[in-house]
Amino acid sequence: MFEPRPFIAEEIERLKAAIPGKAIIACSGGVDSTVAAVLTSRAIGERLLAVFIDTGYMRKGEPALVDGMLRRLGVQHRMVDASTEFSEGLRGVVDPEVKRKIIGERFIRVFEREARDFGATHLVQGTIAPDWIESGGGIRDTIKSHHNVGGLPAEMEVTLVEPLRDLYKDEVRKVARELGVEVADRQPFPGPGLAIRILGEATPEATAIVREACAIVEEELERAAAAGTMPLPWQYFATLLPVRSVGVQGDIRAYGYTVAVRAVESVDGMTANYAKIPHDVLERISSRITNTLKAKVNRVVYDVTDKPPGTIEWE
Amino acid sequence: MRILVVDNGGQWTHREWRVLRDLGVETAIIPNTTPLAEIQADGLVLSGGAPRVGLSGEKMGRIGEYLDQATIPILGICAGHQFMAVHLGGAAGPSAIPEFGKTIIHIDDRNELFREVPDSIQAWESHNDEVTRVPPGFRALAHSENCRVQAMASDAKPLLGLQFHPEVEHTECGETIFENFVRLCERHGSH
Repeated sequence: MFEPRPFIAEEIERLKAAIPGKAIIACSGGVDSTVAAVLTSRAIGERLLAVFIDTGYMRKGEPALVDGMLRRLGVQHRMVDASTEFSEGLRGVVDPEVKRKIIGERFIRVFEREARDFGATHLVQGTIAPDWIESGGGIRDTIKSHHNVGGLPAEMEVTLVEPLRDLYKDEVRKVARELGVEVADRQPFPGPGLAIRILGEATPEATAIVREACAIVEEELERAAAAGTMPLPWQYFATLLPVRSVGVQGDIRAYGYTVAVRAVESVDGMTANYAKIPHDVLERISSRITNTLKAKVNRVVYDVTDKPPGTIEWE
Repeated sequence: MRILVVDNGGQWTHREWRVLRDLGVETAIIPNTTPLAEIQADGLVLSGGAPRVGLSGEKMGRIGEYLDQATIPILGICAGHQFMAVHLGGAAGPSAIPEFGKTIIHIDDRNELFREVPDSIQAWESHNDEVTRVPPGFRALAHSENCRVQAMASDAKPLLGLQFHPEVEHTECGETIFENFVRLCERHGSH
């Protein structure tokens, strides 16, 4: 059985040995990268700089939240606004694999710059087992290229260190709780962020729409779970579909876009089943989304697909 | 007790490793190109994989060699199970109705692999092909609504196959099935 304490002790020793100089760590504020940051910080202290990159595809209020958390955890960090760089990179990009590869490549370029500024020779990432498994390679099919695996360019100026490679999310959470990391139980959020919650081009306008829709889904499900109406799902969000349909809003014809609500139950993210959300909760989510987004979104659907055959995210 | 997981490129190969590890068994993932002479184990698990075994037998490395020459118990899962069937004289082909996600498995034959497993369990699947005819000397042990051979075992040798995935969280009694396989390997080793 996986035991967090021996794992933590061994990993800290391994990190000390692997990083003789300075390192930077890619930290999104999610549980994986935050755990990796705390482990590395315990191993090499001030020789570590955590870098948070605002890609422009983060959730509502996320950068400020992460800044505060890293301060409280005492991890030396820097907040970088790279939103222009990322949105330019994704201009006109529609294919999900191409999106992921471009995002992975942009991340690395930003980290290379930061590593050079800090004098770091190593880049630490919170990559976990599902990331490299689903990214494929060799005889393993590529299900999707995770931003921290499939998108890495052939020549890299820094050495990569991934302390959590063999772990699944449930195991990372055990480590997080042991380390006192406050996002231990926060739902997973993909590295490419909202860019892959928009089917088709991830324009600034589409990003604003899906950011709002995600915030509504999160608020409503968290409120219903806190009230004991339903268990909190493992992962829950909204996806903006490029499908338009006819509606009627305020006695005039509407021809807006569609949001798919997604909520799943899982343990390790490798298999999942769709969450059986009570209808009155779905109803609140639906009407809040269409009321808030007005003519932009006039239809909401609920994704009733397990993994397999779907994956949790749509891209 | 050392049971190795032979990687056929499956999504859940690492899960198979994890379940064995959690059962306290010494385990590792090895490429399916590993020569049999280099394998020191008390049992093997042939993982699932992407290859359409029902269509061609390529990309399955040396597992034919393991099936022909190894004397230890071998459990084939999904593509591993299909390859076992084809290689030993049975047949596999594209499923008329493939299964992804939840399926109910009905156990028809009480093999030791199913010790303490109820007659019907919810299992998770992900297959485009299936075994259409078990090899000579094998019997089918379980079925689902859409798939006739969900499990098989040889009468004479310790060779077993499962179409569904006992290694994922969503399959009921998956860990029990693995425990039974470990027990089978222990019994076999002590002879």
